[in-house]
Order: sequence, then C-alpha cells, then structure tokens
Amino acid sequence: MLDISDLVTAYGKIDALKGVSLQVETGKITCLLGPNGAGKTTLMMTIAGLLHPRRGSIRLAGTELVGLSPARIVAHGIALVPENRLVFPQMSVRENLLAGAYQRNDKVSIDADLKRMYALFPRLNERTEQLAGTLSGGEQQMLAVARALMSRPRVLLMDEPSLGLAPLVVTEIFNIVRDLNRDGTTIFLVEQNAHMALQVAHRFLLMEQGRITFRGMPGQLAEDEVVQRAYLGTRRAAG
Amino acid sequence: MIDLVQNTLDGVMIGSSYGLLALGFTLIFGVMRRLDLAYGPSIMIGGYFGTVLYLYYGAGPLAVASAVVLGAVIAGIYVERLCFAPMKAGAAIASMVSSFAIWMQLEQAAILVLPRHTYPFPPLATVAPLEFGPFLVRVDHLIMLVCALALAAAVHLALYHTRFGLALRAIIGSPVAAHLVGINVRTAVLLTFAGASAVGGAAGFLVLAVDQQVTPMFGMWATLKGLIAMMIGGLGSVPGAVVGGLLLGIVEVNSQWYFGPQIRDLVAYVVLFAFLVVRPRGLLGRAPEPAMPPKA
Amino acid sequence: MDDYLIGVLSNIGVISFVALSAYLLLLTGEISFGQQAFFAIGAYAAGIATALWGWSLAAALVWGAAVSGGAALLVGVPTLRLHGLYFAIATLAFAEMVRILFELFRYQISIDGELIGPNGTDGFRNIRYIFDHNIDAFQFLLLIYSLLAAAMLGLLLLERSRLGVIFRMIGQDETLAELQGIPVARRKVLAAGIAGTLAGIGGGLYAHLTTYVEPRIFDIMLGVHSLAYGLIGGLGTAFGPLLGVLIDIGLLESIRALAGYRMIIFGGLVALLLIVRPRGLLDEMVVHKIGRGWRRVSLWARRSSLKPRGNSA
Repeated sequence: MLDISDLVTAYGKIDALKGVSLQVETGKITCLLGPNGAGKTTLMMTIAGLLHPRRGSIRLAGTELVGLSPARIVAHGIALVPENRLVFPQMSVRENLLAGAYQRNDKVSIDADLKRMYALFPRLNERTEQLAGTLSGGEQQMLAVARALMSRPRVLLMDEPSLGLAPLVVTEIFNIVRDLNRDGTTIFLVEQNAHMALQVAHRFLLMEQGRITFRGMPGQLAEDEVVQRAYLGTRRAAG
Repeated sequence: MIDLVQNTLDGVMIGSSYGLLALGFTLIFGVMRRLDLAYGPSIMIGGYFGTVLYLYYGAGPLAVASAVVLGAVIAGIYVERLCFAPMKAGAAIASMVSSFAIWMQLEQAAILVLPRHTYPFPPLATVAPLEFGPFLVRVDHLIMLVCALALAAAVHLALYHTRFGLALRAIIGSPVAAHLVGINVRTAVLLTFAGASAVGGAAGFLVLAVDQQVTPMFGMWATLKGLIAMMIGGLGSVPGAVVGGLLLGIVEVNSQWYFGPQIRDLVAYVVLFAFLVVRPRGLLGRAPEPAMPPKA
Repeated sequence: MDDYLIGVLSNIGVISFVALSAYLLLLTGEISFGQQAFFAIGAYAAGIATALWGWSLAAALVWGAAVSGGAALLVGVPTLRLHGLYFAIATLAFAEMVRILFELFRYQISIDGELIGPNGTDGFRNIRYIFDHNIDAFQFLLLIYSLLAAAMLGLLLLERSRLGVIFRMIGQDETLAELQGIPVARRKVLAAGIAGTLAGIGGGLYAHLTTYVEPRIFDIMLGVHSLAYGLIGGLGTAFGPLLGVLIDIGLLESIRALAGYRMIIFGGLVALLLIVRPRGLLDEMVVHKIGRGWRRVSLWARRSSLKPRGNSA
C-alpha cells in the first residue's frame, strides 16, 4: 500500500533520514521501532507532508505523495495521529471529530461515522461536549485516533501512541489498534514501547540514526535484542 | 453620578468599535501567533478609499462603507502576502518588523496621494440626539453600537457555525493538527486576514463616520486601540476582544471627562500595563504558556 | 567636514545607542518596543542637570545614564514573568506612559530672569551647555563617537564573555538555561538595566546635541525603529544595529531626491529583506562565516611566516 524508497529528509545541514526504504503492506500492522532521535517522527512528518524530503519517493497505491501539500495527502487517504496527540484544546470532543472529517461533505455518513467512533471509544461518548484540552492523556490519545479515523484513511499512521500513558491505558489503546486492523485498516505504527508493539505487529522494522537496520517478523529477532536496540540503538562495538 | 452613567453609556458605544478593531486583531493573531502592526494602517487605507468616494463622487454612507471595507481588505491581503506568508516558522519578529515597515509605507503612500492633514467623512446621522431622562444619546453613536454588535454576532456565528469557522478555530488550536486533518492552512490564513481586515474596515468606517474625518494618523490610532482592547480582553479570545473594547471605551470616556485627554490616554496604558503585570491573560483569555516556543 | 555631514553623523551616532539598547534585549530573547522611554529619561535627566543645576556635561551624562538604568531595573522586575508578545506590549505601554508623563511634567527654574526647564508638551528648550562652553559641532561629534566606540567595545567584549553567552542562551531557551543553573531572572534584569543605561547615554547626548527635546519625539515610532535597526542590520553582532541605523538615517535620509518616497522604498525593501534574511544582513550565520574566514586567513598568515623555520605544520 505504502511504498517508501530512498527517502532523505534534512534538518538544515543534518540528514535526519539517510535513505529510508520500506513497505507497508495492505491490511497489516507494520511497526517501526527505534531509539530517540533515530528519525521516526521525521519519517512520519515527511509522509504526512509537513516536511519535504530532499530526495526519494513515497507512493500510496502507486500515487506519488512527495511534493504534495499536507491537505492533498490527507485527501489521498493518509491520516496521522501525531506524537503528543495535538487535539484542538478549545474545541469539544465532537468538534474535534468533525474537524477530522473536514474534507468530507457527506453529512449523513459523517454523522454515522461519529456514532461509530462513540461506539468504538465509549469514554469519548461520555464526554462529547467536553473541551478536548480538559481530557486525560489517554482520552486525548483516543480522541486523536478517532479524529484521524474520521477521514476514512486508507493508511493510518500513529506516532508513539503510548507516550506518557499509564500501562492500563496503553493496553486499551493497543487493543483498539488490533480491532481497527481486524476491520481492515492498514496501520503504520511508530513506537518506543517495543514490548506492546511487537504483540500487535505483523511486520516490524528497526530504525537507527536515520536508516532501517532490520526488517522482519516479530519472532525473528529475540525480543530482548529488539528492546535493546529500540531504546539504546546498536552499540557500535557489538556491530 | 449622572455624569458617570452618561460617560459609561458613551463609553460603551465608542467601546463597541474598539471591540471590533480588537476582534480583527485577535483573529489575525489567533491564526498567525504574530502581531500585525500594519493592521490599523490597512484600515486607514480603506478610510482613504472611502473619503475619495465621498469627496469626488458624493457617495452615501453605505457606498463609502463598502469602499472602506474593500480598501482595508486589499491592503490587508497585501500585508499578508508580503509580511506573513513568505516567512518561515521561527521568524516571528521578522514578520512584526516587516509589518511595521509596511505600516510606514502605507502611511506615506496615503499622504502622497492625499496630502492634506484631514479629509471629510459622511456622517452616520444628522438628527438631534435622543433623550432618555437626564441622559443624552447621540444617534450616530447608537448606530455604531448596533452595527458593531451585529458584526460581532456575525463573526461569532461564522466562527462557531460554519465549516470555515471550524477550520479557523482548528488552526488557532493547533496549526500542525490542522494540517493533519486536511485543512488548507495557507488559504485559510489568507482568508482570515481578508475577513479580519473587513471587520476592521467596518469598525474603521463607523469610527470615521462618527468623527467625520480621516487623517493619516488614524492607522496608528486604530492599531493601538485594537491592541489595548485585545490585551485587556484576553489575547486570542473572541468574546474577550469585545469585552475589552467596551471596558476600554468606558474607562477612556470617564477619564477624559474627569481628567482631560492626556490623562485619558495615560489611564488606558496604565490599565493595560497593570493587566499585563497582574493578569496577562486579560479578562477572558487563556493563561499564557509558560515556556514559549523559540522567541527570536 | 561640512555642517550637514556632521549633523547626519551625529544623529546616526546618537540613535545607535537606542538601537543597541533594543538589540541587547533581543539577545536575551525579549522584544522591546519601549527603549525610547529610557532614551527620554536620559535626555531629560541630563538636560536638567546641565541647564538647571549647572552640572558639567560629564556628570550630567553619568546622571542621565544612572537614572535611565535605574528606571530600567525598576521596570524589569515586574515584567520578568512576561514573555514574547506580552513583554513586548508591556514595554510599549510603559514607554507611552513615560511619554505622557513627560507631557505633564513641569519643572522650571528662573535663571538670569529666564524660565528654564521642561514644560510639559512644550518640551524642554535651551539645553545650551555645548554653546555656553564653546564646544563646536565637530568636537561634540567626537564625543558622541568616543562614547559609542566605548559602548561598542563593551558590547563586543560582552558577547565574547561568559555573560554574553549566558544572554544568548537565555534567548534561545530559557528553561534550558535555568536547568543549567543560570539565574535567569537576575540576568534578564541585568540585561534590562544595561540596555536602559545605553539608551540613557544616547538620550543625554541627544538632548545636548539638539538643545531641545519634547515628549513627541519619544514615541512608538522611535521605539519600533530602534528594534527594526537590529533586524535589518543583523542580529549576529553589535555592528548589526549600527548598520541598520546607517542604512536608514545615513543612506536614505541623505538622498534628498527620495524625500517624499523614502518610507515607501525603505518599507518595501525592509519587508523584502526580511523574507530572505529574517535575522538581518549580519545575522549569526554570516558573522560565523566571517569569523571562520578570518581565522583561516590569520592561520595561513601565521603558517606562511613560520615556513622558513622548517617543520611546523
């Protein structure tokens, strides 16, 4: 579904992404792990169009996304649940969800989707008119996911959904991720919480210092090694 | 006591146009997070469009008002394209200084085209003031109040009951997330500038019609009034802008009555300074974030 | 040197003080639209000292600098918690308050049958020190520039010193600076005080240069201009604001032919410049490159002079 090839994105003179190539398969959960500063968020921002790569290509079902504005990229079917949630704090839960459907104008099915979200996320249902800025971290995360889903994306991108959340809430989130995927949503997930991520991923990738250093299935690399490399990066001595 | 009430009445009416000015300012600040120092001068350009229409074509108030709004919108778009759109994310001060440079440019351009110190504006009403017991209410003031409130209500409606308003509030809430839900932020910002300039233009027309003249100094005056009202009411708050304007009007008229025009201006600044030091969020604004993004 | 040139150069010199004042605050990350207030305080204080109290020019300038520096410290404290826009507007409000207070300020003494002293909106005339003491325009010009040179030297040394680095750190990220153990609040007040003093010196010089000051001069335009000079000339070095003043007053004011269109051209040019150079002509990148180039040249020069001695590389 998503085919990324030789992506190079720079911050000033430093290349945050040094030629990243990967594929996200339709209908599967692909998980990208890696230590802080590896470039995971940069990759997400580049796919979403907030950053422009110096070189490389991002194809969604064959259509080139590089060079398009973020709004056009959403129109093509990408939705990003950003790091730190970024809900609209002064707008209600309902308005946040409606904002997620901004590009759609089919009122009837938007309303149907709203109800679907409330069913999927009961905690949001209890708080439809509450200001998003007053929600707890976990509720905001759910809101951010639901908001992204309102655009009926073909690929859902998630940047560190477990960040700053209590373990119980994290489990809840990952259950939702699994459920969404079972309903057919393709998911590309970036995480630091390797343990949880490996439990849901069909495929996983490791990113270190702007490069993909491993790709495979959850069983292939011993979980310990993955956790170590995800948090600390490969120690150069060990190779 | 009667004086106080009379002054407060007058203050509310004058303050309503301050509120409109603040409203436009707030909208621009909300989506840009930057101060547009050329805001007042853009309105002044609108005022000059209006006076030309009045002077040379004898147009009536409605036509003049449209000209003022049109002029303000054109100038506003010019400012947005030159001072704000091309600037990168961290260049907030550069935008502000750039808008200052354009302020000077607009002021001098106006003086070049219309060199006299003052130009006439059509009045809003020529009937005698209304009497309510011991209180006098000028009809043009009343018209100003009604128009200002109607406009503020219209802006509120647009913000909370239209799709564009939703987009605006999203950008104000989180520019990044606004991109991510598919809002075309650049276009929305441009439209907001145009809309805010239109609101400012309307406010400008009301003030100029009550004053029956326009001068090149009007630009700075409008910017200052809008700025002070916005900060008192609360940065980034739409109802705050209106409330701030009303409060400023009341304070000003009373100060002028009891102490004269200089004290009037002094009190306005003292109130502003006091708010900033004691309660920077103003009356209705949100508390300022403690660790602001990179400043320079 | 003809009188006109002396006049322009004197103007440039005096205004440079306010520009440097705003620049210093910008280094600590704060935008100030209000440095003209300290310019005014310095002008009035120094003027009163010579014209009403009979002090020497030197003492008056020190007095002016002290009063404005003190005022800056006083204002710096309540505004400490304010950042960014809030701080900027607070400075604007403060400066306007000061200006209006000077409009109401009357302090006149009868000297030789004449009433001398600040007279509200009519201003403060007859600050005749340099005429009474036969200091000609050129000599005063030298005074202005020696003081300016001293101030520049101080600032350049400051930029290389630990304090200068601290100021820039605070400007980049206050929280981070605080975490490094820097007493951010105290340093910011210090910067405000120094900036106020700088503007005050300029004010004292200005009052004696023109012999007449009035509150109208110290308005928002002056304030925003002072800030703009640093943005135009460049924020990478203390020479930046000077360059900005030079470009505005020196170049454009002097070209009489442009008189009616000066602001239109200048305004447009500034806006365009800021698009490509948001931190001015001499911004940090340029200054860094100049520094690197200079180091390379001096290294090369040193190496060449060592060559005849054999192995040295």
